[in-house]
Amino acid sequence: MLLALTLTACDIPRDPESTLNRVSGGTMRVGVSANEPWVILDGPEPAGVEVEIIEGFAASIDAEIEWFPGTEEELAAALHSRELDVLLGGIESTSVLAAEVTLTHPYLTTASVVGVPQDSDIREDITGVEVAVEAGTEEAALLDKTDAIPVRVEDIAAGDGAKATDSWLLDDLGLKDTGVRLAEHDHVLAVPGGENAWLTRLERYLLSHESEIEGFLGELGAP
Amino acid sequence: MTITSDFEFPPDKDKIHRRAVRLEWITIAYLISAIFFIYLTLGSSQAMKTAWFEDILSLIPAIAFLVADRVRSKRPNERFPYGYHRAVSIAFLCASVALTTMGLFLFYDALTALLSFEHPSIGVVQPTGHPIWLGWLMIPALLWSAIPAAILGRKKLPLARALHDKVLYGDAVMNKADWLTAGAAIVGVLGIGMGLWWADGVAAAVISLDIFHDGITNLKASISDLMDSRPTTVDDSAIDPLPATVKTEVQKMKDVKDVRVRLREQGHIYFGEVFIVLSEGAGTVERLREIRETIHRLDWRLHDIVVCPVGSLSEVEPSS
Repeated sequence: MLLALTLTACDIPRDPESTLNRVSGGTMRVGVSANEPWVILDGPEPAGVEVEIIEGFAASIDAEIEWFPGTEEELAAALHSRELDVLLGGIESTSVLAAEVTLTHPYLTTASVVGVPQDSDIREDITGVEVAVEAGTEEAALLDKTDAIPVRVEDIAAGDGAKATDSWLLDDLGLKDTGVRLAEHDHVLAVPGGENAWLTRLERYLLSHESEIEGFLGELGAP
Repeated sequence: MTITSDFEFPPDKDKIHRRAVRLEWITIAYLISAIFFIYLTLGSSQAMKTAWFEDILSLIPAIAFLVADRVRSKRPNERFPYGYHRAVSIAFLCASVALTTMGLFLFYDALTALLSFEHPSIGVVQPTGHPIWLGWLMIPALLWSAIPAAILGRKKLPLARALHDKVLYGDAVMNKADWLTAGAAIVGVLGIGMGLWWADGVAAAVISLDIFHDGITNLKASISDLMDSRPTTVDDSAIDPLPATVKTEVQKMKDVKDVRVRLREQGHIYFGEVFIVLSEGAGTVERLREIRETIHRLDWRLHDIVVCPVGSLSEVEPSS
């Protein structure tokens, strides 16, 4: 029995609904829900970090992509009933979607940070510092809990001084990291539940392309 | 008020008892490691989750044994004239209620997952820099939760028999049966690997029924203990011959015309009454003490026996 196991070990796990077999050399149905910079649907073709990732993955298994734009909610329902093969939408590992579909392990971790101008000598301690933060975001609430003085603004790109923002935006805003972390975000993709050959193939791809993926964020992430 | 005497194991049992205590400490340390490894490889497998709960629950009898061991050696006092032996039965009643409920709950959980066609996902992890399917790590974790448990169970069974300790016995039997849980979970995980999504839920259902079965078995035993049912052997499979032995031994005495014995278990040991009808003029205080001491010498478990002379047994027998 052990011998039989070792012999078949290479094609374990298998998919109950053969997703990987069908998609390889065939068509991959990808749900896309706009969420910059992960999924950008403004142009004629979808773009964004996750779109780049999935195009690379599709090429690696010789698959054509068919895009299905929609809201995260409706696409997740379609994914759950295996009408889609992957869902992209800047989903995080803590998403409530986990109850309905399977989330991959994180392909990238980003942080909400506090940045200061290059000439500032503020580090770690932001007590009493006025920090601009985009109104109506989670960061604004998190900043309230720190010793900084939050200043809610409409456009984070405007104005000088300290700002609370996503880690990948610091360069574009001409800021440097203070080391203050407001939150961490683990970014994941979603696949249908139980299609384990499919899931593991995608996860192996994500694991072996980590630095490349970080590069996508550098290019595409701009305020 | 009269209080019962302190209880100590006879010297030969004392050694066995110390071994049992040591084995239970080893069991707890080992179970914590097994719980930890399964937790690391839990994934979203229902069978793994259920096996994990079973491992956590199997801590209860081991802890109950050790706690009871402390409590029952407390000196009897005015408030608790029979001592603290029964604390064991109460602890065990609580534990078996927990096991039964948990078993039912996990069975319901497995069943709803199956009926809603929930397909379990097991992905890739990268613990050492090489990506590996998590399912392959679940199997060694499950084996670690089964093989040492079975060995510990086998070692504890003869000790439980020698000490007439039902908590220890129940614990040993549960440990020994752990391979069944692990085996079912391994089949479930391999089933997922083969693309049989339902294998996981079926394995989880089997394990939860095993937990439920353990719960019901222990529930019956602890209830019959608390109800002062007639003493049974340590595995509850047969009537304990000890009351009959006492009766025969006392019956043999020349001055005893008739005898009736009533015993009840309190943890390891027996309390009870021996009603005797003595031949005319034999009932001196000295003679009664002799009879009582003879009975106590029959077996270490006969701890506090009251010898009561009566005119005729019909006084103490239920009128039918």
